[in-house]
Amino acid sequence: MKLKLEQSNRLVSLALYVGSMFLLMEWVYPLDIITDTGQSHLFIVFIVVMFALSMIHLPFGLISVIKAGILLLFIHHVFFDTAFFSTEWVKLFFEEMVINVQESIQQNWQTLTPVFRTFLFLILLWMLSYLLYYWYVVVKRPLAFIFLTVLYVTVLDTFTVYEANIAIIRVFSLSALLLVLANFHRIVESERLTEPKARQFIKWLAPMILVIGISAAIGYAAPKYEPQWPDPVSFIQSASENGFGSGAGFGGVQRVGYGEHDDRLGGGFQMDNTTVFYATSSAERYWKVETKDVYTGHGWERSSEGERIASETGQFPEISQYGDVVAREESSLDLQMIEPGNLNKVPYIYGTEQVGTTNDQINFEYDLITNELLSLDNGEQTLVEDDYSLEANRPDFPRNAMREVPVSYQEDSGIDESYLQLPDELPDRVSNLAGMIVSEEDQNRYDYAKAIEDYFSEGDYEYATDDVAVPDEDEDYVDQFLFETQRGYCDNFSTSMVVLLRSLDIPARWAKGFTGGDRAFEQDAFPDAGSDVFEVQNNNAHSWVEVYFPDVGWVPFEPTIGFQNQVDVSTGESIDDILDDNQDDALDQPESSEQPDADSQLEEGEEEEGNDSEAAGSNGDSSVSPWIVISISVIIVIIVGLLIYYRDRLVYAWRKQRLKRRANQATITESYQFVMKLLAKKGYPFKSGETLREYAKQADRILDGRSMSELTHYYEQFIYREDSFQSDQSEYYRLWKKVTDLILSK
Amino acid sequence: MNQEVTEQQSQIQALIDNIETVVVGKRETIELTIVSLLAKGHVLLEDVPGVGKTMLVRAIAKSLDLDFRRIQFTPDLLPSDVTGVSIYNQRDMQFEFQPGPIMGNVVLADEINRTSPKTQSALLESMEENHITVDGMTRELSSPFFVLATQNPIEYEGTYPLPEAQLDRFLLKLKMGYPVKQEEMMMLDRTTHEHPIETVQPVMTKSDLLAKQKEVQQIHVSQSVKQYIVEIVANTRKHPLIQLGASPRASIALMKAAQAYALVKGRDYVIPDDVKYMAPHVLAHRLQLTAEAKFEGKSDKELLEDLIKKTMIPVERG
Repeated sequence: MKLKLEQSNRLVSLALYVGSMFLLMEWVYPLDIITDTGQSHLFIVFIVVMFALSMIHLPFGLISVIKAGILLLFIHHVFFDTAFFSTEWVKLFFEEMVINVQESIQQNWQTLTPVFRTFLFLILLWMLSYLLYYWYVVVKRPLAFIFLTVLYVTVLDTFTVYEANIAIIRVFSLSALLLVLANFHRIVESERLTEPKARQFIKWLAPMILVIGISAAIGYAAPKYEPQWPDPVSFIQSASENGFGSGAGFGGVQRVGYGEHDDRLGGGFQMDNTTVFYATSSAERYWKVETKDVYTGHGWERSSEGERIASETGQFPEISQYGDVVAREESSLDLQMIEPGNLNKVPYIYGTEQVGTTNDQINFEYDLITNELLSLDNGEQTLVEDDYSLEANRPDFPRNAMREVPVSYQEDSGIDESYLQLPDELPDRVSNLAGMIVSEEDQNRYDYAKAIEDYFSEGDYEYATDDVAVPDEDEDYVDQFLFETQRGYCDNFSTSMVVLLRSLDIPARWAKGFTGGDRAFEQDAFPDAGSDVFEVQNNNAHSWVEVYFPDVGWVPFEPTIGFQNQVDVSTGESIDDILDDNQDDALDQPESSEQPDADSQLEEGEEEEGNDSEAAGSNGDSSVSPWIVISISVIIVIIVGLLIYYRDRLVYAWRKQRLKRRANQATITESYQFVMKLLAKKGYPFKSGETLREYAKQADRILDGRSMSELTHYYEQFIYREDSFQSDQSEYYRLWKKVTDLILSK
Repeated sequence: MNQEVTEQQSQIQALIDNIETVVVGKRETIELTIVSLLAKGHVLLEDVPGVGKTMLVRAIAKSLDLDFRRIQFTPDLLPSDVTGVSIYNQRDMQFEFQPGPIMGNVVLADEINRTSPKTQSALLESMEENHITVDGMTRELSSPFFVLATQNPIEYEGTYPLPEAQLDRFLLKLKMGYPVKQEEMMMLDRTTHEHPIETVQPVMTKSDLLAKQKEVQQIHVSQSVKQYIVEIVANTRKHPLIQLGASPRASIALMKAAQAYALVKGRDYVIPDDVKYMAPHVLAHRLQLTAEAKFEGKSDKELLEDLIKKTMIPVERG
């Protein structure tokens, strides 16, 4: 009888399982958009294969071997070029696994390779195919997964660039259909009806599909309200980042913010409104963190480990070594670090000469090569988490003096030749372009630099944060930007400018840090601040260019469209000169602007990627964050699924412990009611007007025995005779265990 | 305690078996009658003549070695024919009390609805009070005292239906019903030569019975079961098709019946099953249905079963 029923149920089971497969696919579709995952269609294929194999009733061991084989085949297809039946790729694969496992143990999530992540993801999909088999075919409870899917799709729609307009309709229609099927099946089973034949089934299903179709169509066509709330994205993003720790953003390709790794630039990114620090300042100023000097063709590296100097007093005149021609203006600032994240150096403004902190444990060191201002706690470089103060003499760079500097590098200028470094593979057209840009300029370093800085805003360059290309192995990052894409953000512009300058023999380096930020909405950080409080977010992470002028020093330039550097540049000369210069350089002189710059306000909204591309750094195809989010979601789904599936057993184990430890009124009542609950789940609820004996007799009929009646006999004595129940406790426990095991095995 | 109860049970079962040799195929009715006897209650048997009502009560009396009396109620029966009368003894020049049939242990009040209400109440009152007053003298009835009244179904002509107040005095109202063919065949077999009632032997003594009646009073009734009893009785008062629900006396009766039934089943505590089983027998004759219910052809037992089904049974300690 049972077998026959099962056979006739196959149609419904199959429909449910296939439906659940389509629901699972809804989890994979957005990956293409919210991550840089390529070939996500392969995941779909993989899902289909896993589900198809689950439907075939083969021994568990055999099916597992087949599935594992298919998994390896997929990995091989995506990542390895060698023949499948060769030891070579297996060896490589194995080595990669070992490395990744080590990295995982050290929690270096960013450095996990795509092979490993794909491997894990495929395993998750495999597990899900099992889980869904239980949910949809065995227990036929589709609601939990439907709920999670709707949640997932809507959350992605709200908080990422993924547009789930059609997806939600698909999910809705499918979910409604699955619920109908599951309910239909339940009715058939509980009423012990004969399962309808295929034709009847379709006849029965047709109006259902019609209703679902019509309601979906109405829902789609109906006018909808605009969102009633302001976009909660930023709030939730910053919250989620705290949750995920450093380095992992939500739903983005690459996290905005300050990072260490710049050796592989490129790729898009997402917003990140996390506040890094608050600072008092009379004006918006760029915050410098470090510089890099070696351009590899794909990103930036350092030529040497650096050369650190320490200072007991926190005095570092070396930070701002400018020539005498540079006028200075005193300034003092306070910083309050909020969420330093990857930042383990003190950001400072141009002209900084002294740094201090309230924390006595902290010492400072300054790196002459990398320009990092490090805060050390007992010699350990620590995260900057305290309040800092900066004393600065802001430089006012004299344009005329700079104009006197010849274009080319001179050996006696006091800096290393390494600031002219360029990769050998750099295509010639880059230097040709540089020559072309400056062809009409006066032959001096400043005008050349200015010309290149301005070149980007005059050409067809586009500031963009998404859809930014990643160069291939054999492509140059700058070359690709200048000649192919012309689309990018600060890293593209600043790196290109450095390369163009260097190709003209002008020493230049790449600077990283933050733009000035916005005036803080709440000025609570420094209630006593005399000047404005600026809030610097991860969004403000930025990169720009520094050009060396002998007798002046390193002067910042800002090639990125829409950004202006708030350094002061003045003629340092007569009024006439000023008037002259103002005519051609009016735009160039963002000068000591006291007012915040409108452009940058605007831009910072859609702000850039920051200097780092740590996430993309390890590989070109995607960042870790969405993977982690997805993996965590999937793990949560699995855990929730397992908990739901095994909750009876978990509760059983708990009750067993309790009852064994002490059989008192509470535990005995609980334990018996637990049995009643289990029986109710199996379709035998305790009905009104039914006595325990009658109930037990019913139960014994399905349990094929008399144990329930025996158990009930003891329980009856307990409640109706109001026994102390001392003597029969062990017998009650034994019977209770027997009955519960029987029910759970059914 | 438990062993004692089991022993009691086996004795009771032996008694029932003994009676069953006379009254074939009516085990349930016999059992219920014994329940009533143990609970010191009385039984009203309503059925057509000739189904074995008299045999049942005679068998009980013989099996228990009790004094059996029979009163045939007729329209002209007087109260004194039931209770007894003082007759002037000319030799002794004194009034002498001649005890009526009610002074026996087991009294069969046959066709009680054929006599006048005056005589009916004489019987019923003595049942309740356990004593009679004749000529200003109160006389105790013998103990045990068990009345089994029979009545023809009331639609028969020339009957005086018992008033509701009187019906309340019976613990149970039972029906015999016709035997199935096989049982009837067996009955014929047994009575071919000699009626089994003649040969039936006592299996229990009077003192045994009295002890058991005492035992019944010791049967444990938990708070939750008491609650269940009260719940059922209260529900009879709320039911829309019942004009007059059961009285508190009915609650007590139901508890006592359940106690006795528990003993019959070999338990020293009452379970809701006992209450549930006894409730229709105890309560049915105490309800007065609305005209609507009668019109719809609902019987009191049907209504009760429906009502019991809707009453939640306590499954936790009260």
